[in-house]
Amino acid sequence: MSVAGAPSLLQATLPTWILLLGALLTALLGWRVERFPLGGHRVIGTVAGAAAMAAAVGAFHGVTPATQVALSAGSGAVVADRFSLFAVILVCSVGIVAVLGSGTATERLGARMPGYHALLLTATAGGTVVALQWEMGALVAGLALLLPSLVGMVALEKTTEGAGEAALAQVAVGGLCLGVLLFGLSIIYGATGTTDLAVARTALAHASPPLEGLGLALTLLGLAFLVGAAPLHRGVLAVARSSQGAVAASVLGISVTAGGIVLVRVLVSGFTASLRPWVVLAGVLALVASLYPALVSLAATSVRRVIGLGASLQGGFLLMALLGSGTGRDGRPEGGVEALLFGLPVFVLSLMASLQALGILEGDGVGARVADLRGLARRSPLAAGLLTLGLAGLAGLPPMAGFLGRILIVQSAVGGGYPWVAAGVLAASLIYAIPILRILAAIFVEDDEEPALVSGAPLLGVLTAGATAFLGVVAMVLAGPLTFAAHLAALSLR
Amino acid sequence: MNLLAQAAPSTATTTAGANFPTIVFTLMVWLPVVLALAALVMPERTAEQRSRIRALGASGAGGALFFAIWAVQTQAAAAVAGNGGGIPSTDQLQETHGWLTALPFTSSYQLNASGVSLALVLLFAVVFFALALAAWKNQHRVKLLTVCLLTVETSFLGVLVSFDWVLFLLFWLLPVAPVYLLVRGFGRGEHPRAAGRHAAGTLVSAALLTLAATLISFQGGARSFSMGGTPVTLHGAGTGVAFWLLTAAFLLPMAVVPLHGALLDLEEDGTGVLAALFASLLPSLGAYGLLEVAVGFFPTTAVDLSLFFAVLAVATVLWSALAALRCDDLRRLIGYAGNALMGVVLLGVAGHTTIALTGALYLLIARGLAMAVLMLLASGIQERTRRTRISQLGGLMWQMPHTAAFWLAGILTAAGVPLLGGFLGMFLLFAGAFPAHRWATAAVLAGMVLVVGGLVWAAQRIFMGGEREAFARVRDLGPLELTYLGILVAVSFFFGIYPDHFTALFINGADHVLFPATYG
Repeated sequence: MSVAGAPSLLQATLPTWILLLGALLTALLGWRVERFPLGGHRVIGTVAGAAAMAAAVGAFHGVTPATQVALSAGSGAVVADRFSLFAVILVCSVGIVAVLGSGTATERLGARMPGYHALLLTATAGGTVVALQWEMGALVAGLALLLPSLVGMVALEKTTEGAGEAALAQVAVGGLCLGVLLFGLSIIYGATGTTDLAVARTALAHASPPLEGLGLALTLLGLAFLVGAAPLHRGVLAVARSSQGAVAASVLGISVTAGGIVLVRVLVSGFTASLRPWVVLAGVLALVASLYPALVSLAATSVRRVIGLGASLQGGFLLMALLGSGTGRDGRPEGGVEALLFGLPVFVLSLMASLQALGILEGDGVGARVADLRGLARRSPLAAGLLTLGLAGLAGLPPMAGFLGRILIVQSAVGGGYPWVAAGVLAASLIYAIPILRILAAIFVEDDEEPALVSGAPLLGVLTAGATAFLGVVAMVLAGPLTFAAHLAALSLR
Repeated sequence: MNLLAQAAPSTATTTAGANFPTIVFTLMVWLPVVLALAALVMPERTAEQRSRIRALGASGAGGALFFAIWAVQTQAAAAVAGNGGGIPSTDQLQETHGWLTALPFTSSYQLNASGVSLALVLLFAVVFFALALAAWKNQHRVKLLTVCLLTVETSFLGVLVSFDWVLFLLFWLLPVAPVYLLVRGFGRGEHPRAAGRHAAGTLVSAALLTLAATLISFQGGARSFSMGGTPVTLHGAGTGVAFWLLTAAFLLPMAVVPLHGALLDLEEDGTGVLAALFASLLPSLGAYGLLEVAVGFFPTTAVDLSLFFAVLAVATVLWSALAALRCDDLRRLIGYAGNALMGVVLLGVAGHTTIALTGALYLLIARGLAMAVLMLLASGIQERTRRTRISQLGGLMWQMPHTAAFWLAGILTAAGVPLLGGFLGMFLLFAGAFPAHRWATAAVLAGMVLVVGGLVWAAQRIFMGGEREAFARVRDLGPLELTYLGILVAVSFFFGIYPDHFTALFINGADHVLFPATYG
């Protein structure tokens, strides 16, 4: 990795700086200018997100065909390659969706809305750092920016008891996982003598377990938290259960997106699939992370809990994709990275769509128990439709793109030589469909005497939720171009 | 008609028909769901609005039927042309568009249909059209019924013409939510349990199919999800594992013994339209998968395991026959008869000859038509008399002569009486299976005698006897019912009187399953 100067570092991290600037501006305006319209914060957030994406595209403009790396800066700590371009665009897109969909949280957040937007942009900035990093220090710096911001977003809803508990759960589990991750990275640093993931990759290829294996295992365990995989999913469940719909959608959307990106960057480009210990561990973890939430969801009576468990189950799928991140007997890649990079946005979209739809319903006074949704299709057809699309995507039911994401990940895991993991995770996914069907039955089939709902949700929030839900179908139709983009991103990791 | 002469696959190649892009299958598959989406946004507050939704449903099913007939007619003509000395082209209506091309494995939007698919395409399109008309009577949750029915039609037809695993799985899993909602919304008795059992069965079969598809697409060496390259050869135990995965996945919806409980519950607890849908089409979809996919992909393994299928066929037919004889519930009786007929189809699979498989195709059509007629009639009888048990009925011939006539047509179709759809199917199937499994064929024949006896006995108890005061005000079939039942029976007569129109097509399909290498 070539060493570049300061201008290069600035250029490579320009998306992050733009987002931080947006966050600062939002915070200042919220603090100093009374009655600054909330729409203005959304405009700032959206413009910052779009500008960050444009900056990433601009940085990538000078890509070197041989290395696929446009910029390498900070002694290789950050890079602008095809993967980082894909990842930055993904993180910023999720951030923009979160900003646009925040309207339904206005009532709950009140005067803290500017702070919420500032934290949202800071978390997105943290996401861009982990997308651009290729070094342990930069990774930890990105997580240090990301995790407190997410906790802060949850904690801002301090008027409700549940939100405070959720923030505390996030701090506890997040802190534990960050510690585990640091411990794992420290062991790897000790074994290889470098914090550069690319150099560590070469060193680890000739390393011998068990010490390095322990380091890799701890790293994986720490990263699993970010994607909400069980048994470290308590924070995800707490946020899904207690936070306002739009807030939960933002927090979990950014967290899972960043987690998926880090998984790929660290474990695929950093440690390669040839190192068996962590691959086997990833398989076991994927099985646990899928089967546990699926089985628990059968007894769930709260829609929020079902969605939280679905997020955790999707984390299991993302972990399973790592099993197919190597090459097959014929020397060709198994496609696990491409599957993960296709699955990640569609999983996040369905998660955010479900929670945003719940946020709309929450504003209209509808509870989150399955029983509360009886006759929803008659009372509020639009909200029922949005929730249905989100939940169907979460369960991987056709015609949502989550279905294709699951197929591709299963395919890559079987190709990677782990059909037993694929069978288990697939079974978990299908078990999870049962509670989703029950919810759909409550929405469409079970009647109650409640009058039709007159929604008071802001139009932009409804439109954002609608677009997020509908994108799940669009992604299925446009799977060809999307998987092509994922393929290009994956190329720079090999 | 010299079937044996036609049965031998020829090796010369000919090109038939015009070679231009077509979207017949696309229109046939997607039209219903597009109209379902239109229905979704329509209001259903007034009677007029509900009528519009029903009309949209009938239009969707009618449109699909139109394109199905077009496809069958085109391919049948090509098959007849091919009998002049070459392999008939089955690709005239093929649609292939690249979809996932950047991944290490490829998938495409590929629709095509063999003779096996087309036989069932016609059946499904006809039955769905009849069901869309039958659903016109429904006054409750019209939109839900219409949207779900049309979505299920798209998914069922999609399964039949998918030639890519991803598409196949998509269509296979697509009806799980609509069917669940249909049973929950329009069922009676213990319908939540029945809905749950069916959904679980579909999900399990989808999981098995997914694993089989991944094994096939990876171990086949091609790294493609295309279903066109049959037969498939896998390394080591891969062939056996994939075949069993596929067989198990398709036997689940076929509802053969001992997997028949869930389907019987659905038939018993659903409304007339749903019961007809489940009894007529769901097992046929499983049979299609078993024939075209499991046997078609692994014909050699299927031959090796033909005894398994023969034993399963005997067990299914005899169990169903005995159960039918002691059954007092009208719909359950028909359900058992349908299961028995599916056992006969299994015997055709065990026979593994062109004749037997051609017979199985004719029988699948006849079975589907007969089950739809009988279930719709049974539902009508139960609604009018408010009785569900056969022992509570009697003397209905006086009030319901048309019902009795259609009932007779239904059981005669199922029994394989000449001039009706089942005759040629039974004849070919038994003739084709007998050389390979003599005892099994005899046992299945004996079982079928019992089943037909049970149906006739039930007809006697329902319709014969003196006029009963309790049923004095019971109405006979109305014009709408006469229309859709008439369509179903007319198609049965058409297949009975003029089966030769489809023979070349069906033989072509059977050969494609048994000798895939010949067809490339």
